[in-house]
Amino acid sequence: MLLTPDMVPTVVATGASARVDAHVAPRFRVGDRIRVRNHNPTTHTRLPGYLRGKRGTIEQDYGVFAFPDTHAHGLGEKPQHCYSVRFTAREVWGPAASDRDTLRVDVFDDYMDPD
Amino acid sequence: MNGIHDLGGMHGLGPVVPEQDEPVFHEKWEGRAFALFASTFVFAGYTVDEFRHAIEKIPPAHYLESSYYEHWLFAFEEALMKRGFVTREELDARIAQLKSGGP
Amino acid sequence: MPKPHQGPAESDPAIRVRALEAILTEKGLIDPKALDALVDTYESKVGPRNGAKVVARAWVDPAYKQRLLSDATAAIKEFGFSGLQGEDMVVVENTPDVHNLVVCTLCSCYPWPTLGLPPVWYKSAPYRARAVSDPRGVLKEFGTELPETVEVRTWDTTAELRYLVLPERPPGTDDMTEDQLAELVTRDSMIGVTKAKAP
Repeated sequence: MLLTPDMVPTVVATGASARVDAHVAPRFRVGDRIRVRNHNPTTHTRLPGYLRGKRGTIEQDYGVFAFPDTHAHGLGEKPQHCYSVRFTAREVWGPAASDRDTLRVDVFDDYMDPD
Repeated sequence: MNGIHDLGGMHGLGPVVPEQDEPVFHEKWEGRAFALFASTFVFAGYTVDEFRHAIEKIPPAHYLESSYYEHWLFAFEEALMKRGFVTREELDARIAQLKSGGP
Repeated sequence: MPKPHQGPAESDPAIRVRALEAILTEKGLIDPKALDALVDTYESKVGPRNGAKVVARAWVDPAYKQRLLSDATAAIKEFGFSGLQGEDMVVVENTPDVHNLVVCTLCSCYPWPTLGLPPVWYKSAPYRARAVSDPRGVLKEFGTELPETVEVRTWDTTAELRYLVLPERPPGTDDMTEDQLAELVTRDSMIGVTKAKAP
């Protein structure tokens, strides 16, 4: 499809949500303790390296989204839940970090195991 | 991938340097590169995940030295070549033509 | 390397963009006028003034604030702000106990409909590296010093949610109108590197 000037306002105002309208059971519930998997794929992932192996708590379930790790490689949407997960700064960065500060990271089902 | 893009926690990169009264685009080509995103996305059908992964594959030293919209340009070229909309030869020929003052 | 053409030397990416645009135009795949319209949209129509209107409304209208915190995408759309890179929005509220800071360590995700396109520093390696591991150091570089009793909560936007910080309403603004309040809401305060301006 050719993007023409008259289509621009609609494209800009609509965008393309990565939400997937599929019923997929969540693997975690708010309040669950999780541990991030230690994976090192040579392919695309949206799990930042600094989180590998870290322990956190599910704060919010954002619903079902396409999974970037497969979607980037033409391997399908593999729809799954994405959560806001809380990590303490000390869990991630060690004892020199503030004992009050925290991180919230958006983490997909496939990146975590129950702790 | 364990690439240079995965910057969280890296040391030695210096202070954050905000620019006062920063323009949206610093040079005209940045605006054109930005606009190519929506325009090529519509006809070429790549996903934003594929686009991000193309950026991740930029050689690490170049990744750090080049600007955001250069990253985008690299990713457009990759995605469009992969799908056969353009070839490396076509791009190189046109770049040479423009450098010698042609249209 | 000497450039054979007249006038100021074009940088390499400038020529590469021109080449790509020319080829795609000749093949009928893109319309340069659509590119003009996109550039104009983000240079003159979409920017942090949008987000400032949302924040000012939340400061004066408790019911709106509640909608904003429970369904940000819909509440922001009440202003007509929606779409590309704001499809799924989350608004996080600063309080006397919690200061929120937003970063995208893996690329440079940013809520375009409310903040426009990101500034260079937001996309820069130092910000992306340190906002997660040294948020208080980064905040200090922006002149924002917070007591140890305040939790700094850094949001790394690794998926497709886009975040806007709702800064605290500055003291001494009780008599100000919504439009006047919007003037106090800076882009940086909605990323979380600063507080809203004092009146």
